[in-house]
Amino acid sequence: MALSLEVKKKLPGFTLDVTWEAGDEVVTLFGPSGAGKTLTLQCLAGLIRPDAGRIVVNGTVFFDDARGVDMPTQRRRLGYVFQGYALFPHLSVRDNVAYGLRDLPAAARRQRTQEVLERLGLVDLGARQPRDLSGGQQQRVALGRALAPDPALLLLDEPLSALDLPLRQSLRDDLRRILAEWGTAAVLVTHDFTEAYRLGDRIVVYENGRVIQAAPRAELLWQPASERVAGIVGIRNVLRGTVLKASPDRIQFRWRDQLLEAVNSPTRSYLPPPESPLAFFIRPEYVRLIRKDRGTPDPDHHMNLMRGRVVDEADFGTTWTLYIKLDVAGAPAQGHYDLEIEVPRLVYEILDIAHDRQWQLSIHRGSIHVLPSSPFSPAGERAG
Amino acid sequence: MDLFPLWLSLKVSVTATVLTLATGLPLARLLARRRFPGRDLAETVVVLPLVLPPTVLGYYLLVLISRQGAVGQVLDAAGIELAFTWRAAVLAAWVGSSALFIKAAQAGFESVDGRLEQAARTLGRSEWSVFWSITLPLASRAVMAGTVLAFCRALGDFGITLMVAGSIPGVTQTTPLAIYDLVQSNRMTEANTLSLIAVATVTLLLMGLGRLARLRF
Repeated sequence: MALSLEVKKKLPGFTLDVTWEAGDEVVTLFGPSGAGKTLTLQCLAGLIRPDAGRIVVNGTVFFDDARGVDMPTQRRRLGYVFQGYALFPHLSVRDNVAYGLRDLPAAARRQRTQEVLERLGLVDLGARQPRDLSGGQQQRVALGRALAPDPALLLLDEPLSALDLPLRQSLRDDLRRILAEWGTAAVLVTHDFTEAYRLGDRIVVYENGRVIQAAPRAELLWQPASERVAGIVGIRNVLRGTVLKASPDRIQFRWRDQLLEAVNSPTRSYLPPPESPLAFFIRPEYVRLIRKDRGTPDPDHHMNLMRGRVVDEADFGTTWTLYIKLDVAGAPAQGHYDLEIEVPRLVYEILDIAHDRQWQLSIHRGSIHVLPSSPFSPAGERAG
Repeated sequence: MDLFPLWLSLKVSVTATVLTLATGLPLARLLARRRFPGRDLAETVVVLPLVLPPTVLGYYLLVLISRQGAVGQVLDAAGIELAFTWRAAVLAAWVGSSALFIKAAQAGFESVDGRLEQAARTLGRSEWSVFWSITLPLASRAVMAGTVLAFCRALGDFGITLMVAGSIPGVTQTTPLAIYDLVQSNRMTEANTLSLIAVATVTLLLMGLGRLARLRF
């Protein structure tokens, strides 16, 4: 499967202008509601006609305004799982699944329907009406109906948004397993980053009708292309400092009266001049608390040392989030605190953080992630 | 008692209802799903027969189908006589009752979730197939209600029928016209019987409709 998509579509008050590609994998289109993700899916399926662009799936041109090609939805043969599933309410589960198989001879149609029902564990529900099914069963029927004609590409629009949270998590894993088992390339739309990350091999981040980053999921999490991507994917502690010195493998900078050092990526060749602004982020779970019972910190292991006080905290069950204000003058970087850090519950209890609020922190230089686009240059310039 | 008016009414109403279905279904679907220039005008024209005096409608129809009229000339050339035949009564019943059907069916089609039709298209089905397998079954209650209402209205047409088909006993005199004639000639017992039959027929039909509407499918 190879998919390349370039779509421009103007609607009242909204313009979609996106370009991305995908291989034989699950791609998630991720971004806030109203960013144009569903619209992209509809253009891909031929339910909405783009104003301009080109859509090619497996060498078949679905749409090309320059050559006047606009293949009708019926002939694109894509599986489409709609938000809320859109099961046919007047047909049984079996008839829903068989609906896309009308071109097959009756015997083959029955056989294929049975096979799909078996693979999805729906055999016992074959005679039921969609309204008598639970949310999870409806999802399976919708998947079965879309997968039965063996589409080259499966499109899923917010497949989990209709469900309650606990069910949502178990169905997310269900969906992940089904996608892996059927091995169908898929494009999935979601506004939930955990879902995008769990389900997608590759994530395309949408914002306001544009793609601000398209990358394998790990790259997105560890190397967001800009401050905006970092914000949208929910990265904490996105901060701004001032560059002191940048080399291909290190960047030294000043932040809140601290001298910090971060690893630079030689491949990115990002060398901001001294005194220029620098955006970076620190993952809350990678900030270390220095134990007071272990003597002086070793500079080889404990770099970027800072002192601060726990000014607020939140209990998340298995982890605690601590809000630290550094022992320096001036306004804290994030409202009433400078850094958000996360510690496992066990650590919280052993170190007695509930009563001991003054701490020394260290952050390994590899755990400070420099965001390549400065906050004052347009986002999305990075190639790839 | 002469039962001819009853049989004629039945024949005219059934034929008119078939005609209403054939023309009304595509029109209702069009009005429910498409935006096109002149759509507002089309919607208004569809409703006009409900609000215009039947005599006005009948007058224009007569002008159209008489030998000098635009349609009449074509039919005349083809050797078909329309004015003052039972077919003219069908035309009258059709014009008088179509609007009821089209408005009901249109509302029915509009209530069908458009994503279901899109889902059917993504599964490879043609527009024709989508209509018969998804849209129509899901709007079937509204379509049936419209059909029954249109049939009852066709059964009861008086004014338009009188204008274009006349009230020729044994030829174009439908039940409502016959009742009028009987009352005019003071044959009250027969008028009473025919009226009761008309009321009973329509009551039964509407009760059946009520039962249909409660069905789950």
